[in-house]
Amino acid sequence: MFGEKVIELIKEAERNPDTMDPFNDEKLRQILEEMQLLFKMNMNDANATSENRSLWTTVQVRHAALERNKRCLLAYLYSRMNKIKTLRWEFGSVLPPDIRELLSDEEYQWFSKYSTNLATYMRSLGQDIGYSGIDLTENLKPPKSLFIEVLCVVDYGKLELEDGDVIMLKKNSRHFLPTSECQTLIRQGVLKQIT
Amino acid sequence: MDNNYLSISDILVTNEKVPCKFLHDLPKMGFLDPSAAEDDLKAGSNVEIPLWLSESLYSRRPPLVSVELPKIYKDAYREILNADACTVDMHKLGQYFYEFGCYISKHDIKGEVGSTLINTFRQRFRMLLSASVSRDSLIALQPLSASERQRASAASKTEQALLDWLHSGDCVLTTANMVANHRKRKRAEMEMV
Repeated sequence: MFGEKVIELIKEAERNPDTMDPFNDEKLRQILEEMQLLFKMNMNDANATSENRSLWTTVQVRHAALERNKRCLLAYLYSRMNKIKTLRWEFGSVLPPDIRELLSDEEYQWFSKYSTNLATYMRSLGQDIGYSGIDLTENLKPPKSLFIEVLCVVDYGKLELEDGDVIMLKKNSRHFLPTSECQTLIRQGVLKQIT
Repeated sequence: MDNNYLSISDILVTNEKVPCKFLHDLPKMGFLDPSAAEDDLKAGSNVEIPLWLSESLYSRRPPLVSVELPKIYKDAYREILNADACTVDMHKLGQYFYEFGCYISKHDIKGEVGSTLINTFRQRFRMLLSASVSRDSLIALQPLSASERQRASAASKTEQALLDWLHSGDCVLTTANMVANHRKRKRAEMEMV
């Protein structure tokens, strides 16, 4: 029965809506092969329909399968693309290496382009009123106070603040920092806000 | 209902099987019918094929198949659903009961499937609502269909957000969703090794 491999791919995409999976190029290749085969068989039978009229029904069934495979592949890629878009907002413009290797080369290219586009757009914001751009990935929630207390969750290393001070972010250390400096780190899971 | 071309859930719905009757001979397509021994599929054979195939073959001129109602939309089940829809375990009966039903209802000449769908949802709405505020959510969510589960989890998330806001009006900065999930998964993998 055709159209079964492609469903496995779709189920894989559906199972983990919130995490990135490795790009399944092996399965993708198998499906493309299946489609090539279907297409060839259809070409043969379509040429033969002039003698044997009854073959056209078979051609239509295979054609439906081809379209189905195409739809599923596109949906798989599209759902991954949406996740990659989220990656840019949640991990920032530089992906950690273990995330990077989950993407295919084309997907990584797309990520870089999306990242550049977003950066250009953010820089252009507010230029007409004298600002040099706004970072839209900051302040996703309304800021309530200028300083917050945070707990460091991982060994991060040195962090230079805007006023020139350098602080050491070690695991389990507590800090009292300006909100604007640490919210990106909180989103990336380096710091945790203590309430 | 979300049924655009790239929707993953719609693809899964259209993967459900429907009983169909083939109206024409199909040479070399014998493998569609597991019980057939020949290479060709004869006109008049009854085969269960996925909805996507039946939709496409039904829309040809002239149609290649005639679609019959799957058993969960037939009289026997409809009577159960109309009597008390809440007793039915949708997860077992048909995960995509409503969405699948929308596709099927156009093949139902009497038009009863459509009203059954609405009726079922109307009866189960209270159940859905209580499942979304329930603390013991695993048991409450069990009999719900896939789309009902989505509604329930969305409702409980909204409820939680409202409660949080009412309590303090403060919003704590948190780790981004995908980052947190990635961490969890990595930890699980580390433990397995």
